[in-house]
Amino acid sequence: MKKSAEEKMKTLLAKYTYPPVEVAIPILEKAGRGEEELASQIHEIDLSILSGLIKIFGLKEKNMKTVAKIFGVLLSYYGQKYEPLVLSENRFCLSVSDCPMLHVGKNVDMATRSKYCDLLCSSTAKALAKLVLGDASSCSWDKALIKGGRKCIVAFELVKSK
Amino acid sequence: MNRSTKLLFVLLLGASLVAFFLAWRNVIEPMDFADLKTVLTTTTATFGSLLGIITAGLMFTHGKFSELASELDEKSPHYISGMLSLEKVQIIANNLLALRKDFSLLETQSTVEEEKDLYRRIVEKSSSIYVDFAVLSDLKLMQQGLAETDLMISGMDPQLYASYKKERDRVKKEWQILVTIKQMVDTWEGSTTLVTKKNERRASLQQDLRSSISLLGLKEKLDKNSKQVRAEAEGILNELTEDLGKIGRELRLERIPQLLSQMEQANTIRGKYFYFALFFIATPLFVNLLVLPQLSVATASFFQPVISITSSLSVLGIAFLLLYISKILNV
Repeated sequence: MKKSAEEKMKTLLAKYTYPPVEVAIPILEKAGRGEEELASQIHEIDLSILSGLIKIFGLKEKNMKTVAKIFGVLLSYYGQKYEPLVLSENRFCLSVSDCPMLHVGKNVDMATRSKYCDLLCSSTAKALAKLVLGDASSCSWDKALIKGGRKCIVAFELVKSK
Repeated sequence: MNRSTKLLFVLLLGASLVAFFLAWRNVIEPMDFADLKTVLTTTTATFGSLLGIITAGLMFTHGKFSELASELDEKSPHYISGMLSLEKVQIIANNLLALRKDFSLLETQSTVEEEKDLYRRIVEKSSSIYVDFAVLSDLKLMQQGLAETDLMISGMDPQLYASYKKERDRVKKEWQILVTIKQMVDTWEGSTTLVTKKNERRASLQQDLRSSISLLGLKEKLDKNSKQVRAEAEGILNELTEDLGKIGRELRLERIPQLLSQMEQANTIRGKYFYFALFFIATPLFVNLLVLPQLSVATASFFQPVISITSSLSVLGIAFLLLYISKILNV
């Protein structure tokens, strides 16, 4: 029997599961080892998930609309509420109300949270650049949630060539 | 909160305020004996009428509950005989015991609290599903008139056996077998009923297991010892996903989680109606048998506060009834 797109997506996301950061961070910190292992594992998972989603939903266009669709699918799968703010040819901006860093233990200090926040976001940004937007793209995140804000703003931009 | 519930709350609040205002007025302004007797008789009559309505509500909810129970009773034997062969139960049980053993060991070896918690959750959930399977296998043999084997009990430690005994004693009716199956599927893949609130959702065993496998993959890069456990856990995860996933799919196709959730709601309201009915039987009895025969001009002033309270309760009762009727209509 042919699987529906929803079933294929469920299988894909179940196959590539992220290590729980609330557990991984204390282990890595305790081992005194850097975050390179986590970064490489997350990047591999990101690439597998994103390329899988692109294939399942037939997202052939390499533009901001595709990035917006991927975010919509992924965030709703993980039960996160998000709000699209801007979607144009060169810019896609969204706000999210949850972040893995909010679920780490209270003993994890702000600097560590900030470091791992960069690690997770940059990994996804790199994977999206590689698979969809190309090298002429940038991504920024304001870390508002870990600073106590209610929403964090993530923005993708295409850098205009001179 | 929807609009009708809000309206009922406003009504309830208004009725309470009026009732307490009247009660307060009656207490501070002395009534004469004849008035007091009239109030008492009217109050008991009101209680009688309310009892009639409550009994009707109780019967209605019980009817709904019985209807759902018989629908589920019909579905239960199919699950036991069709879905769970003894061989399948054995394979699943062995996998669950292996998970329990491996993750108990990992839990004792770990020094990071968050990691220990994750492994502890896996051990607890594997044990819970194992217990559910033991109960189901027991009931299957009983339902088919076969000899009990105690096959799964032999693999239990005292703690697991105590949980098994508790769960086994809970299942007394045919449809309750489906509660055990749903409980097992929920532990494995998480609840899928719409009534479950987001913040009430617990991570499923499947989710915890996937997280652990991913974590063990990460640890593998730090030390090589996690490799074997990870490979074993991955194999078990795949087998359990197939076996338990099939049971979960069937359960959802037959709408059993929804039916059970409706039953739970009907049961809760039925229970409340029952205590409500008890109260409305006891109060007029108390007034008629104890207060009224004693009522004289001299004792009237002593009983006056009691009478004021019972009168106000009858007004409150009407408001409560409206609330429950609205609830039962939403089941």
